[in-house]
Amino acid sequence: MFSILGGIEIVSLTETVEVRDEDILVASHLKKYYRIRRGFNPFDRSKPKFVRAVEDVSITVPKGKTVAILGESGCGKTTLARAITLLSPPTSGHIFFNGRVIFDGEGGKFRNVNYKELYRDLQMVFQDPDSSLDPRLKVKDIIAEPCKGLLDIEKEAIDAIVMESLKAVGLSQEHAYRLPTHLSGGQKQRVAIARAIAPQPRLVILDEPTSALDASVQAQILNLLLSLQTNYNLTYILITHNISVAEYLSDFLVVMYAGSVVEQGPTASVIANPRHPYTKTLIASAPIPNPLKRTLLTTEIIGEVPSVINPPSGCKFNPRCSYAEQICREKIPELREISPGQFAACHLAEKIP
Amino acid sequence: MQKEDENLILEEEFDRSVSPTSSPSQSKENELLRISNLSIVYESKHANLLALDNIDLEIGQNRLIAVVGESGCGKSTLALSIIGLLAMPPAKIMNGKIEYKSINLTALKEKDRRKFRGTEIAMIFQEPLTSLNPVYKVGDQIAEAIAVREERKNDRSMDLESEVMQRTYKVNAPDMPSRLPRFKPGGLTKLLRDEVLQVLKQVRIADAEQVIDRYPFELSGGMRQRVMIAMALAQKPALLIADEPTTALDVTTQAQVLRLMKELIDEVNTSILLITHDLAVASQVADRVIVMYAGDIVEDSDVYDLFREPLHPYSKGLLSCIPVGSKDKAKLKPIPGSVPDLSKPFVGCKYASRCPFAMEICSKRSPRLVEARPNHRVACFLYSGESR
Repeated sequence: MFSILGGIEIVSLTETVEVRDEDILVASHLKKYYRIRRGFNPFDRSKPKFVRAVEDVSITVPKGKTVAILGESGCGKTTLARAITLLSPPTSGHIFFNGRVIFDGEGGKFRNVNYKELYRDLQMVFQDPDSSLDPRLKVKDIIAEPCKGLLDIEKEAIDAIVMESLKAVGLSQEHAYRLPTHLSGGQKQRVAIARAIAPQPRLVILDEPTSALDASVQAQILNLLLSLQTNYNLTYILITHNISVAEYLSDFLVVMYAGSVVEQGPTASVIANPRHPYTKTLIASAPIPNPLKRTLLTTEIIGEVPSVINPPSGCKFNPRCSYAEQICREKIPELREISPGQFAACHLAEKIP
Repeated sequence: MQKEDENLILEEEFDRSVSPTSSPSQSKENELLRISNLSIVYESKHANLLALDNIDLEIGQNRLIAVVGESGCGKSTLALSIIGLLAMPPAKIMNGKIEYKSINLTALKEKDRRKFRGTEIAMIFQEPLTSLNPVYKVGDQIAEAIAVREERKNDRSMDLESEVMQRTYKVNAPDMPSRLPRFKPGGLTKLLRDEVLQVLKQVRIADAEQVIDRYPFELSGGMRQRVMIAMALAQKPALLIADEPTTALDVTTQAQVLRLMKELIDEVNTSILLITHDLAVASQVADRVIVMYAGDIVEDSDVYDLFREPLHPYSKGLLSCIPVGSKDKAKLKPIPGSVPDLSKPFVGCKYASRCPFAMEICSKRSPRLVEARPNHRVACFLYSGESR
């Protein structure tokens, strides 16, 4: 299923996948199910139920690029990020990172992963800086924390790294001795970013890096992320619900709906010519600062995101889709290439306007 | 004793004079709310924070007006002061008036102020789950709003034995301690139930028959916000204040809720004051946009005019902060610096230190809001003709 372009061959226990040289991370057929605990009813003989948070998702992340995972709350985008980082390991699937297998499908077995090595190269910026920064540590200790565990270096060297990352995110030395409560929202997010880049990772996962920020601060952070990417040669996975942020920052776009990928491809072409009706809806409902184009008021949006415990049969979007036909209610659509590089999981992708 | 009696008489007179339904509108036609020179300070032991600095504003009928600004600019303080829910202290109104249909709300006692809340000026909040009562069914909560409306309409307030109350509730005890009617679970009369259903349908809830008997936790975020809107609209307010009503919602749900609010303006004959941090949302739904910065109104304009050509440097800066298109096309230009400390006395324009067009006068005097173009007011020396 992966394109073979003279890359290295990585053999996992159950799957052989060709990974291109330019890819830093390949996740294939990832699933993450959460089992719902039964109640206390001793006569309850029903089958166990699962929340299918991530259902068969495959993504490829090229080195030095930004892949945005776009979707609404509950679509599984954060679960996917946590599965990729092994913070909550996937139920099944394969993850190849940096030339190695870090997770190997079937029943949650995974190879001896050297976590120290893994997290040196793979870092994450969490959703809410308020809750991801220890309120009792000073900024310099917050940033030093991952370095202490991951890098085998002297204390002085760590201090130097801390100061360098503080400078890189646009904070001054005086901020190093403050507590998170003494920082503004934007500064807290800068500290969270500084902590992530301190061990000099190759891939950073950004989980909603700007959703808690004001517009002017958001702009500062977005530009900071761009300059860090070029300076440190970083690869980003951007988790966001904001289509304009995704469009601004990313090279590739993955649109998720109720646990599955509905569309993926180069950002520009997905946004210019969305092939999945859900992507279309998402683009139309994203407010743009132009009163002459009131797409928000003119598009009809029906229904709500379905339950991932009992998803609708066939295409999960069919109850809300204005193009839905009989086949959509019966058959689950496969992700297929509609135009070069652009994939959509829709039976009618060619037919919809 | 005598003194008390006097007070009572005075209060009664006062009641009559301020009753929102009895006094005919003497103000300009179409004018609903006029705020003049309003300054609000949050007082604390260490510092006094000037949250609103001489705000002037008027709101007409059947309009959607958006108040846009970043966190801490005073937009929520403005909303709370209009509806009268500001906690005082710490907040204190330094000067100014809020006139609703020519009645000065700031001079009223809490008891009288309460008569405006809900039936005249209603409010919906950001997080619907915390604004709904978790132990009452959705239908009961909307019914309460309707009951209050009926009660006030007939102006036989708090008379639980009245015909209205008998009709709206199966009231069982005339000696109820609470001022508001209590609920018996499932105690809605057919009449009231029908009205609740009608309101739920008005906010486009398709399966209203089921939703009426659900608890708030059983509903999705979008549904909860619709219920909040239904509750507010059930009282038929002339002005609805919506404080970040869609910030907690997803984009598709946000689109649905905003569209609903826009449609309801003419349907139920109300004005909406939409408080938002999102300039893009304002551009999509508002008729008029008010931009606030650090407790000041810096620009107040017709929506089309504002987005065609924003005048104030802050509005310009805010617009250039919104990502449109990819990084290769246009790089964002963030506003340098940060908001000034509002707890310190300030001379000059509050935006001057971040403004690329700042002149000498900007650090000496604060600009007044002047009409630079028809329906377009701006507080900036670039347009006031005072710069030279």
